[in-house]
Amino acid sequence: MSELASEPVAQREDVLGTATADAPVRGPAPDPAEPLLVVDDLRVRFVGRGRTVHAVNGLSYSLAPGRTLAIIGESGSGKSVAARALMGLLPSTARVSGSARFDGTELVGLSEREARRHRGADIAMVFQDPARSLNPTMRIGVQIAEAVRAHSDLDKAAAHRRAVELLAMVHLPAPQRRFHEYPHQLSGGMRQRVMIAIALAGEPRLLVADEATTALDVTTQAQIMELLLELQQRLGTAIVLISHDLGLAASYADDVVVMYAGQVVERARTADLFAHVRMPYTGALLGAIPRLEREPHSLLPVVPGQPPDLSALPGGCPFRPRCSSATDECAEGPPLREHEPGHWWACWHPLPDAPVKEGV
Amino acid sequence: MTVATRPGADADRAPGRLAALLASPGARLVGKRLLMAVPILLGVSVLTFWVLNLIPGNAAQQLLGPEATPEQVRTLEQQLGLDQPGYVRYLGWLGSAVTGDLGTSLVSGQPVTSQIGERLAVSGELVGLAFVVSLGLAIPVALLAAYKPGRMFDRVSMLVSITGLSVANYVLALLLVLLFAVELALFPAIGFVPLSESVAGNLHSMALPVAAIAFPLFCFYTRFLRGDLVDQLQGEDYVTTARAKGIGPGQVLLRHAFRNSSFGLITVVGLNLGTLIGGTVIVEQIFALPGIGQLMLQAINTRDFVVVQACVLVFAIVAVLANLLADLLYAVLDPRIRYGSR
Repeated sequence: MSELASEPVAQREDVLGTATADAPVRGPAPDPAEPLLVVDDLRVRFVGRGRTVHAVNGLSYSLAPGRTLAIIGESGSGKSVAARALMGLLPSTARVSGSARFDGTELVGLSEREARRHRGADIAMVFQDPARSLNPTMRIGVQIAEAVRAHSDLDKAAAHRRAVELLAMVHLPAPQRRFHEYPHQLSGGMRQRVMIAIALAGEPRLLVADEATTALDVTTQAQIMELLLELQQRLGTAIVLISHDLGLAASYADDVVVMYAGQVVERARTADLFAHVRMPYTGALLGAIPRLEREPHSLLPVVPGQPPDLSALPGGCPFRPRCSSATDECAEGPPLREHEPGHWWACWHPLPDAPVKEGV
Repeated sequence: MTVATRPGADADRAPGRLAALLASPGARLVGKRLLMAVPILLGVSVLTFWVLNLIPGNAAQQLLGPEATPEQVRTLEQQLGLDQPGYVRYLGWLGSAVTGDLGTSLVSGQPVTSQIGERLAVSGELVGLAFVVSLGLAIPVALLAAYKPGRMFDRVSMLVSITGLSVANYVLALLLVLLFAVELALFPAIGFVPLSESVAGNLHSMALPVAAIAFPLFCFYTRFLRGDLVDQLQGEDYVTTARAKGIGPGQVLLRHAFRNSSFGLITVVGLNLGTLIGGTVIVEQIFALPGIGQLMLQAINTRDFVVVQACVLVFAIVAVLANLLADLLYAVLDPRIRYGSR
C-alpha cells in the first residue's frame, strides 16, 4: 500500500467544491429505485489440470446509476476476476455461475458474441498498467477511434473527430497533435487518460476501474481520480473502483465492499464502514496503512500470515487462520448478514465500536 | 511496403514517415551497418582462405588428373600462382576484390564476377520464390490456427508443421522428385528453363526445388507465428483492452496481435534469408539448377579456390544485407524504434 494512501482525502474535498461548475450536478444522490447493476451470488472458479481455483465465492452487491462502489481486497481476493466476469473477459478455463444483471439483462452465461455487445457500450474498463494496456504499435487516436467505431456507425473521419473530442474531455493537452502519437511518447498519467478516453468512447453507463491508479505516482493518482469523478458527474456514469487501497475507497466511494478469498466479508456505506469497522480483516487492512504520526523506522504493522490458497479453502471463515479473535466457532461459516442497517459483515466476533484512528 | 502494411487511417502519414526514414537517422543506421560489414567480410574471407588451404590437393592436381607427373603439376601451379605463400595470394586476391574483380576461375579461366552474377540470379529466384510461397501460406494458416487455438484446424496445422520441421529438405526434395516427377510426371525433376526464355517454363521447372525449400520454411513460420500470436492474445494486456472495447475477435487478431507478432517474424525471416542463400546447395544439386550453390560445390570438387572464395563472400554479403533489411523493416513497422527521431 502506498505510504500516502490517505492523501486523496484532501483532494476529494477540492473536487467536490470546484469541479461542478459547468456540469449538471449529478453527484451522489439518494439511491434511485432501479439499480443499474445487481450482482447476486457470483461465483468464478478456474478449472485446470486436477486443480480447481475458487476465485470468487458468492459475491453480491448492487450499484445505482451514477454512484461509486469500491471493491477492496488484497491480491488474489478475486476482485479483478469478478469484474472481468461481468465483461466476459475471462479465459476459457473460467467457470462463472450466479447472476449479474445489468439494467435487467443477465450477463452471466452470455455467448462471446452477446457479451461483445455490452463491452465498451454498457460496461467499460480501465486497467491497472497503462504502459501495457495500450497497443504499443498503434497511434493512440486510432486506438480510441477503434473503440468509438466498435459501437457506432460513424465513418472514419467522424470517429477521428470524436476521438479528438474524447482526448480533450480527459484533458490531454493538444489533443489534435496527441491523436497521432504513440503510447511510448506519453507519460503514465497521460496514458491512463487515454485509457479512460477509450473506456468512455462507447458512452458506457458503468465504468470499472481495475486498480486504475495503482501503477501511477500519488499526484497523478489523485489527478486521475479527480478526472474520473468529474466525468462521473458530467456523464452520470456509475463506477466500480477496484483497489487494494482503503484510503482510495474512503475518499471516493459511496459504498465499500471488502473481499477476502473471493467472498464478501464486509459491506457498508463508506461513512458507516470507516466509522464502525466490524470485520477483523478490514480492521487489519486499516491498521496496515502507514501513518505519518507513527515513529520513524518503526516496523509497519502487517496483516499476519499468508493469503489463502484458493484451491484448498478451509470451510468456515476464510480469514480464520490469520485472525486474532478467531475461535472454534469460526470453523463454521459466519454468513454475510445485515447486522446494522446498511452494514453487512460475515463474522462471529465483530470488532467493538473502538474509536478508529483518524486519517481515513 | 510501409503503406501496405499499415492500417488505412495512417496512410496519409506514411509518405512523411518514409521521408523521415530516408533522412539522417535511418541513413546513419545504414551507413553504420555497412561500415560494420567491412570487418565481418574481411574476417569471413580470411577464414575461408585459411580453411581452403587446409584442404589437401589443389586446382593444378585436380585439373591434370591423377596421372600427371610432379613436374607438370609444379608448372601449372606456377602458371596459376599457386606456388606463392598463402598471405601473398590472399592480399593479391583482396586487392582486386575491393575493386569488384573477384579473379578468374582457376579451372575455366573465366572471370568469377560475371559467373557468379548469372548463378546468383538463379539462386535468388529460388530463395525469393521460396520465401514468397512459405510466408504467403504460413501467415494465413497461422492466423487461422491462432483464431481458435486447440480446434481441429490448429491441431492439424501444428501436426503438419512439426512433421515438416523434422524432415530435412534434401529428403523432402527426393520425395518430391519421386512423387511429382517420377510417379505423377507433373513437374520436371531436372531441366532448368531460364526466366529470359519462358516465364511459364521457368516457373514450371522451379516448382519442385521451390517446394523443397519452401515447405520446411512454411512449417517453421507457421509454428513460430501461431505460437507468438497465441502468446499475444492470451498474455498481453493491450489485447484485453482491445477486447474490452467490444471489437470482434478477427479485428483483435489482425489489428492488434498480428501487428505485434510481425516483429518477431521479421527477425526470423531476416536471419533465415541470410543463411538460406547458402543452404540451397543440396537442393540445387538434386534438381541440377545452375545456381550459386551448385557452382560452389563444383568449385570445391575441383579445388577452384578462387570461385569458392567468391561464393562464400557473396553469401556473407547477402547475410549482412538481409539483417540490415530486417532492421530497417523493424524501424518502419515499430514506432518505438525511430532511431532518434521523434
